[in-house]
Amino acid sequence: MNIAVTIFLVIGAFFTFVGALGVLRMPDVFGRLQASTCIATLGTINIVIAGILYAASSDMSAGVIVKLILFGLLVILTNPVSNHALCKAAYHMGIRPEKGFEPDDYAADFGAADSAENEVKEEA
Amino acid sequence: MTALLIGAIIYVILDFALLYRIFRGPTAADRMCAADALDLTTATALVMYALYTGRAIYLDVGLVVALLGFVGTVFVSRYLEGRI
Repeated sequence: MNIAVTIFLVIGAFFTFVGALGVLRMPDVFGRLQASTCIATLGTINIVIAGILYAASSDMSAGVIVKLILFGLLVILTNPVSNHALCKAAYHMGIRPEKGFEPDDYAADFGAADSAENEVKEEA
Repeated sequence: MTALLIGAIIYVILDFALLYRIFRGPTAADRMCAADALDLTTATALVMYALYTGRAIYLDVGLVVALLGFVGTVFVSRYLEGRI
């Protein structure tokens, strides 16, 4: 059982490393958001599975397992909501990728006004 | 189990990479994105430390940190959108 816990811990730590590297190295906000989603889904969920296996194998109380399942469900349900809100806020602030969006559905929804007016200058 | 402690230490080291993005990020959305990821990594490190020491209080702290991080991210992005 310890080997399974260690394997899940290594997978979770690897995906968190990839996500942190993506947040450091991606060129714009949308790429960084997409990389930071990797931390929440693949990293945290693998750690939670490892924690459930460890708590079940080492005679911890049932409350610990229930709290771990609650933590995993909370992360799965809340992370897409917060990332979508942040992405929409970045669009409204006038941030665009360097190459532009190919299908730009937000421009059809919100009007081309706020895409042309306020271009945020990046301070290098 | 020592692997849990090592995993928590790795998560805390990865937090510094996200902190660099918070200091450096060109726009406010970059900073908020890195802060959201930092919330989640801190909560996960707390979960691993709770399993290592066997104290359930750190598990509660990790749950509250994850919940407050979600609420804070949604409020700040509503503010950046200009609707608050």
